[in-house]
Amino acid sequence: MSYLSLRGLHKSYGATSIFSDIHCEIGKGEFVTLLGPSGCGKSTLLRCIAGLTEVNGGQILLDGEDLVPQAPQKRGIGMVFQSYALFPNMTVQQNVTFGLRMQKVAKEESAERVHEALAMVELGDFAARYPHQLSGGQCQRVALARSLVTRPRLLLLDEPLSALDARIRKHLREQIRGIQQDLGLTTIFVTHDQEEALVLSDRIFLMNAGKIVQSGDAETLYTAPVDVFAAGFIGNYNLLDAETASRLLGRPIGSRVAIRPEAIQIGSQGSIEAQIRSHSLLGNVIRYRIEARGVELLVDVLNRSADDMHANGQRIALNIDANAIREVA
Amino acid sequence: MSRADAIPAALYHRIVVWLLFLILLTPLAGTLLYSLSTSWSASILPDGLTLKWYLELWSDQRFLDAFGQSLLVCFGALALSVLLILPLLFVVHYHFPKLDGLMNILILLPFAVPPVVSSVGLLQLYGSGPLAMTGTPWILIGCYFTIALPFMYRAITNNLQAINLPDLMDAAHLLGAGTWKAAFLVVLPNLRKGLMVSLFLSFSFLFGEFVFANILVGTRYETLQVYLNNMKNSSGHFNSALVISYFFFVLVFTWAANRLNKDKS
Repeated sequence: MSYLSLRGLHKSYGATSIFSDIHCEIGKGEFVTLLGPSGCGKSTLLRCIAGLTEVNGGQILLDGEDLVPQAPQKRGIGMVFQSYALFPNMTVQQNVTFGLRMQKVAKEESAERVHEALAMVELGDFAARYPHQLSGGQCQRVALARSLVTRPRLLLLDEPLSALDARIRKHLREQIRGIQQDLGLTTIFVTHDQEEALVLSDRIFLMNAGKIVQSGDAETLYTAPVDVFAAGFIGNYNLLDAETASRLLGRPIGSRVAIRPEAIQIGSQGSIEAQIRSHSLLGNVIRYRIEARGVELLVDVLNRSADDMHANGQRIALNIDANAIREVA
Repeated sequence: MSRADAIPAALYHRIVVWLLFLILLTPLAGTLLYSLSTSWSASILPDGLTLKWYLELWSDQRFLDAFGQSLLVCFGALALSVLLILPLLFVVHYHFPKLDGLMNILILLPFAVPPVVSSVGLLQLYGSGPLAMTGTPWILIGCYFTIALPFMYRAITNNLQAINLPDLMDAAHLLGAGTWKAAFLVVLPNLRKGLMVSLFLSFSFLFGEFVFANILVGTRYETLQVYLNNMKNSSGHFNSALVISYFFFVLVFTWAANRLNKDKS
């Protein structure tokens, strides 16, 4: 039995459709990511669930009740914004208390819950600071605490990590995931970053041009893209059309093919002759650009030791795992 | 530039600035001295110093009335501005951001039309008929509102753009606040500084306004500047005391505005 279900949602501004016919079922305590390029409608969908933007049709059922006619204040949904949206005139403490003040929670209980929430995001010592005295990561944690303290039925995160630098982003996403699992909070996370989506989510909804293209866990999405868009958006798939693929693999192939760069093995022995064009070091991975039978391919190899590195122009042979060759529509 | 050159250059800059300062200050200092002297006509320095002009001024009922009426008109206009402009800004920036472009043109109008021209227009419009208010303070309050509008609109708009209004409102809504509550608890406190600074600026400006006050109302509701104009034939010492008093009052206000501005950092 699903906790949140979206049924036939659609939204358009005049003749421009933002998204249409969105159906999805989300279980209680699930961490779900809406992943897609900018402009695919994922943020608007999130705002519609929150009630900040009206939908043109469809139902949003949360725990069996339809949210569409309800005002955002009544929905019991917490949201964290990319811009943090902290109230600049209030201290951290006052920011976090705001939701409880609106709910008219008694003073002692309110103070206790605020204390708890701040401790959860490890900002207990910062209660008296103002937002402008905090770093971006700290601000976003305050925003998270502010949403959590009201005990929302659903937590929405709208690209909360996009404005932060890489190191803080990694730390904060683990913190978010940890808190979410501790509280068993149903969460919808919006991002355009595939790595974030793969690391965090129980389930990913891949969106493009206002439609859900594919949904599934990280593994399914990564290893079995349903179409060219999915294959192009996630990972660094080599996308080959039918003719090129036939030439490379030496057997007739009827459709487009996607091959993951790490599923190709290169070495001195293999079924296909190839030559290294160039390489770049990504850290733990070396990415080679190679040419085989007139086809250019990307190959990722784990960077085990400097001795294994193949020089540009070197002739090699490659093997492609038959299971890794995905036919995509 | 070498170090040896730097010192004379700095000295030169300093001299220019001080010279400019002196040029600006001289008439004011002269006025101050004149207002403090018993009589000063055929000699280089005044004959003697006295405070009697100030005493005379500050015990003149007509001056005190004009001063109070000026204050009243200014505060009335500013109160009207706050009441009208704050909700207007909120509506423009929250609901109809596209109107900001139109507003930016509208707020230039009071500057585009010279006061002498617009006051003639106002006289025609409000001289008779259902809205006959020339000669009353009401027309000045309305007219001063249009003068204060550009200052206040710009200052508060800058303030609003710095706080990301839509996201703050969204956040407040999701935390359970209605639009009114969100506006009062979240938006308004963040506009305090822009509002205060623009109020002080507008006040200093309106307090010294003469053209509209003289043409639209004149002696029927004498403001400070009109009073000054009407006293132009009385003693120069007396008028000097009036000018210095006025200047000092505005100075205190400007200083207060500066103080508020500095608090921002």
